[in-house]
Amino acid sequence: MTGAVYDRGYRAYEGERGGRSAARAALFRASLRRALGIRRPWRQKVAPFVLLGIAAIPAVVYVGIAYVTRNTPVSDFEFVTYRSYLAVSNIMLVFVALTAPDIMCPDRRQHVLPLLFARPLTGVDYVVAKVGAMFAILFGFSVLPQVVLFLGYMLVSDDGALRYARDNAEVLWQVPIAAALLSIYYASVGVAVSSLTSRRIIAGATIIGLFLVSSIVSNALVEADTIRQSEQGSITGPPATMVTEDGEVVFIPEEGLGGGGPIYLERKANPAGLIDLLELPLVLRDLVFLGEVDEIDPMSGLDNGGLYAVLIYATMVVGAMVVLFVRYDEVER
Amino acid sequence: MDPSPALLRTRGLTKRYPGVTAVEGLDLDIPAGRIGLVGANGAGKTTLFRMMLGLSHPSEGSLEVCGVDVAHDPIGVRSQLGYMPEHDCLPLDQTAADIVATFGELSGLPPRDARQRASDVLDLVGLDEARFRPIAGFSTGMRQRTKLAQAIVADPELVLLDEPTAGLDPMGREEMLSLVARLGGLGISVLLATHLLDDVQRVCDYVVMLDGGHLVVSGATGSLLERTGLLTVDVGAEREALIVHLAERGLQAANAAGLVEVQVSGDDDIDAVRDAVADLGLPLHRMTTRLTSLDDVFLDRAGRG
Repeated sequence: MTGAVYDRGYRAYEGERGGRSAARAALFRASLRRALGIRRPWRQKVAPFVLLGIAAIPAVVYVGIAYVTRNTPVSDFEFVTYRSYLAVSNIMLVFVALTAPDIMCPDRRQHVLPLLFARPLTGVDYVVAKVGAMFAILFGFSVLPQVVLFLGYMLVSDDGALRYARDNAEVLWQVPIAAALLSIYYASVGVAVSSLTSRRIIAGATIIGLFLVSSIVSNALVEADTIRQSEQGSITGPPATMVTEDGEVVFIPEEGLGGGGPIYLERKANPAGLIDLLELPLVLRDLVFLGEVDEIDPMSGLDNGGLYAVLIYATMVVGAMVVLFVRYDEVER
Repeated sequence: MDPSPALLRTRGLTKRYPGVTAVEGLDLDIPAGRIGLVGANGAGKTTLFRMMLGLSHPSEGSLEVCGVDVAHDPIGVRSQLGYMPEHDCLPLDQTAADIVATFGELSGLPPRDARQRASDVLDLVGLDEARFRPIAGFSTGMRQRTKLAQAIVADPELVLLDEPTAGLDPMGREEMLSLVARLGGLGISVLLATHLLDDVQRVCDYVVMLDGGHLVVSGATGSLLERTGLLTVDVGAEREALIVHLAERGLQAANAAGLVEVQVSGDDDIDAVRDAVADLGLPLHRMTTRLTSLDDVFLDRAGRG
């Protein structure tokens, strides 16, 4: 014996002891800490806080612009809307691809699951805690820059802070709801994909791939279809169309047709827009902010396009949760 | 401690997997204390643990752990248990302090208590200085201690240890066994699964032997060994005199490699040997119970079964 073993300090625990809800909350907190790199080497802290910076710095810049241009004619110009700024949340995809595998895969790969499930914890509790932690971070990262933007605009507003707040009161419910919809979507799908493998790299690549490939395929289908429509349509003469970087189809009229600038071709409704999983949460966002699908979206004009979008969204989220519940119902604990 | 119900009570407990029966018709009544669960690999030890934790459901029969029916309230049972699995099960990039505190919280301790107790139990297992280092840099022995620490951090009624000495060097094994032996004094019952009968013999006061999912024998360690005990006595050169003297008292003794070996069954016989030495006025250099090991009991019983 080395004498390295001491009894000092050990005593029976007589205090309160929580059950399932305490265990669930503990796993939630542990996953939150892990995702944010708290109590981990600094390398693990870089990704979350760089991404938070990327999401929040533009807000600070916009507020700065508003401050510089206050009390000038330009001050009425909106450089950014709360709705468009929420699209910054697409960097959430990167964050999810990095973090969701990190809070899921090691539990399986390093065989931590048997230890976890030896606690007063069920498979459902596990799923709720993990998706909840992911959701909480995504929601926080989506809403925080918006808060910066709102408070900043309030303070630099020409009309006074209270007036600004009153005039823009609707964003106070629109932003949280839209951010929640985005966060639930990414959290559930990201965690579900990560639950299927014990390799972080595979899970991360699959998450990115799922969203990007669906988006690319959808855009390609929409584009092909739009060009075909313009060929068959009422526009005569060789169609001098071009597709701009952000997918806008622009028709350049020949001389004598009235001249002037380019005529924007109204994009026809296209169901292929529905399979764009990257764009889908932004369609939901538009439903919250605008009450309809944005007119530049390929789904605009599609009968019940908004309803389809909601249905696909619900299918994705529910599907992800079903995958998770099945996966952790009877795992190799 | 209050007169607690049986630590583990099973009736006709059976677990079948497709193509194999892991546990069959097990009837056990195990008292609180340090219990050895012995059997070769595949004897059904881990399956029994999993059923106790409610992670695996019996095909037939019932089991009660700490007085709680597992089928009825698996969550309630788990709040009273600590579990140290056989395989690696620790997140490698976290520190021991962090892991043990987190598992304390998962067992229902408030965060502040969990951190305090994590530091206490890590002290107890001898990891006080290493506790802020990531597990990835730990030796096997340190990992095993961390696994033990997370199992006892929430002060469980009973801790299930699955092969805690597996992979340890002799020193590490000694230390692990001495830790296990101390748990009883801390009010924690131990169920120690192992294929090393020697470990059980050293630290357990009750033994359950399994073979191929069947119960071979169970009982207090002493009572199992008593019948075949062998006492070794070193009285210097006067061995023959002692052997004759003992024979007169009805005890079988023999000369073995410069020592006298006496077959004893129980404390009375041991007292008789001591008295015989005293009567003859022999110098008593050494008297040890070189008891027949549990291996012999196991082989004997399993062979008959």
